[in-house]
Amino acid sequence: MLMLSCKKATSLIEKKSLIGLSFKEKTQLKIHNRMCVVCLYYEKQSLIIDDLLHELISSSESAPLIKNEALKEKIIKNLH
Amino acid sequence: MSLSSDEETLKSWVALHSDKMYSWVFYKTGDKESSEDLVQDTFLSAFKSIRKFEGKSEPKTWLFAILNNKIAEHFRKIYRSPVLTTKMGDYSEKTMNTFFTKDEGWLKEEIPRNWPDEEIHLLDDSAFKSILENCMKNLPAKWHAALQLKYLEEKKGDIICQELEITASNFWQILHRAKLQLRKCLDINRFRK
Repeated sequence: MLMLSCKKATSLIEKKSLIGLSFKEKTQLKIHNRMCVVCLYYEKQSLIIDDLLHELISSSESAPLIKNEALKEKIIKNLH
Repeated sequence: MSLSSDEETLKSWVALHSDKMYSWVFYKTGDKESSEDLVQDTFLSAFKSIRKFEGKSEPKTWLFAILNNKIAEHFRKIYRSPVLTTKMGDYSEKTMNTFFTKDEGWLKEEIPRNWPDEEIHLLDDSAFKSILENCMKNLPAKWHAALQLKYLEEKKGDIICQELEITASNFWQILHRAKLQLRKCLDINRFRK
């Protein structure tokens, strides 16, 4: 089994997050990260960012409240 | 002429929820006009199918579900935009070359360093989030759209790709570039000060 490059390893980290990895890919990534502390750091940081992105993008509490009265009037006016 | 009760209901929903809905979309798109259109379209859709709403959920939940569908559609259009795609083709390869050598190892100046655990735990979450928000704003539109689509509705990756009519590999490659850029941006702005 060929060693992954760092470029490939970081790409697999993204694939894992999106659709998961095959058993072979999981193993390859684990081995690479055991030997490459840099990509281990990258994976750790990537997961932290994933959590933050999840909060920012899926939680409406992140958005600062903006009042838009003109919009409300426009919506009601155009209901028909 | 008296308003029908459907209209009364919808008017009250507009009064109660429109600001929050508008704030939510504007936070994502940064564009006033398209945000207003999306909110307006949502209320129009809600009005058309108001009979189907049987009060089984909260009106706010129902309205936000409709809104999020329209937001997803908005970002799918951006993702698929042929103008951006052409540009992105070159930009994507360029990005990989700014992080990795021809042998696919990290370029020396790009090597991620450890983020100290103590620092991460002490981090004021809102400070970190606002740095990340700014980093996201600086991403190319297509990459930003990809992130929005990935995290917005917690859909499975393969479903997102089906809706976009692209391969999963196509999608995660974009996410890969976005993540590389975001990590670097966060690193510079939070940990190297």
